[in-house]
Amino acid sequence: MYTLTPYFRFSRVPRHHHRPCRATISTHPPTVAAPPRLDDVTRMSPTNVAIHDPSSLRSTWSHRAWVATGFASVFSSLAKSVAAAADSGSAVEPLLAAYVGYILADLGTGIYHWAIDNYGGPSTPVFGSQIEAFQGHHRWPWTITRRQFANNLHALARSVALAVLPIEALLYAGGGGGDAASHAFVGTCAGCVMLSQQFHAWAHEKRSRLPAAVAALQEAGVLVSRPMHAAHHREPYNTNYCIVSGVWNAALDRWKVFEAAEMFIFFRFGVRPRSWGETRPEWREETEAATKP
Amino acid sequence: MACTSLPKHPLTFFRAPNPRIPLSAATPTLPMATHSQIYGLRLSTNTTSSLPPPSFPQRMLICSKVSKGDVPPSFTLKDQEGKNVALSKYKGKPVVVYFYPADETPGCTKEACAFRDSYEKFKKAGAEVIGISGDDPSSHKAFATKYRLPFTLLSDEGNKVRKQWGIPGDLFGTLPGRQTYVLDRKGVVQLVYNNQFQPEKHVEETLKLLQSL
Repeated sequence: MYTLTPYFRFSRVPRHHHRPCRATISTHPPTVAAPPRLDDVTRMSPTNVAIHDPSSLRSTWSHRAWVATGFASVFSSLAKSVAAAADSGSAVEPLLAAYVGYILADLGTGIYHWAIDNYGGPSTPVFGSQIEAFQGHHRWPWTITRRQFANNLHALARSVALAVLPIEALLYAGGGGGDAASHAFVGTCAGCVMLSQQFHAWAHEKRSRLPAAVAALQEAGVLVSRPMHAAHHREPYNTNYCIVSGVWNAALDRWKVFEAAEMFIFFRFGVRPRSWGETRPEWREETEAATKP
Repeated sequence: MACTSLPKHPLTFFRAPNPRIPLSAATPTLPMATHSQIYGLRLSTNTTSSLPPPSFPQRMLICSKVSKGDVPPSFTLKDQEGKNVALSKYKGKPVVVYFYPADETPGCTKEACAFRDSYEKFKKAGAEVIGISGDDPSSHKAFATKYRLPFTLLSDEGNKVRKQWGIPGDLFGTLPGRQTYVLDRKGVVQLVYNNQFQPEKHVEETLKLLQSL
């Protein structure tokens, strides 16, 4: 039985947010690793853990430890940035770099989300359980709002912690301890990626249950809004993949960037994305009311 | 026949939303009795070699290419029922020949459905619609049945006709291009329209032209 971790469960794989970072190893979408087959037709019996295994939605000490480590790595980056900025006397560059990190984190989440939603399947090495979890999230989107904080974020936090360390090491290896802007970029980008799962959960929450500040940030477009993310949760799940602020969604959808990538992959590798076909019955969305016994 | 093209400009993708290829006035529109297109310098003894007119700065094709004013080379391809269909069969009426990447891909489905939904308008204009891709007849049959397409789909296996007519690829040549030709009653090309990512526009543009023919 798998748990419905909607996002980013695995560790030891460089995170997609490396894609925008400068000194980096990048994760390519699993399309290259996925076997050249039309579809992963593994039959599954999806389980809604919110009903059948509610304890799996609670945070464990392991979850909390990883989240703490993730936050520590992000704060450490940001602290180095502040220190370097204080030294140099200029805040403009690091603030700009932080903003760029925030913007690119949105793009990174979109690309990763698109890849996981469309390619591979439960039997894909490394990513299989996550792909399955993403499909489970499409079926029971409201479950994410039942997860406790560390339970929701721990997988991302783990990846962030394991990614930020080598990046920071590289920045130091570059000489001079790295400048304020680099640390600001890394810290903000990694922080936004790690928190994207919380932003995602907020985008599924009812308006009345959100803290006022969060609702305001959603309305201002700083965080991905509920209507924007709801547009992703419509078959065939082929739009609005970004989940930090969603600022890239309009452009990516208008310019058919993902469709172009899908066409390229189809003609180059013969693999069709899931969003080209009808959603498989076991992954069709169920409402909360319909699911509760 | 072989058709070589130099690498396309990497920004071709970003051309996609408005990549119409209007032929400039400088393009020689020779009344063609044969299917050789000789615009300028002949690069080889192959009579079908040519340089494209200067209105295409972003790529160079060293092959024959069907453009406005040309009579395209005829072809005979299998339709979705497996029957041979020749382009020459349609002489005497306007024909819309639309080349698309592949059956059952989102853009091609939109395009086919757009042609289907406007089919009455094409019939009113006395025109025939033919879709061509590299898929085999059985794929066309399934595609046409699923989306109730009332027009002919032809299998250009090996993409021979696509190459012969010189249809440019997209995304550095990895994607077969989406290009539509409108032939008038005499079989002369009156419109060449290329747009990979806005397939519905092919219907608008072709209808607009047909109404003026």
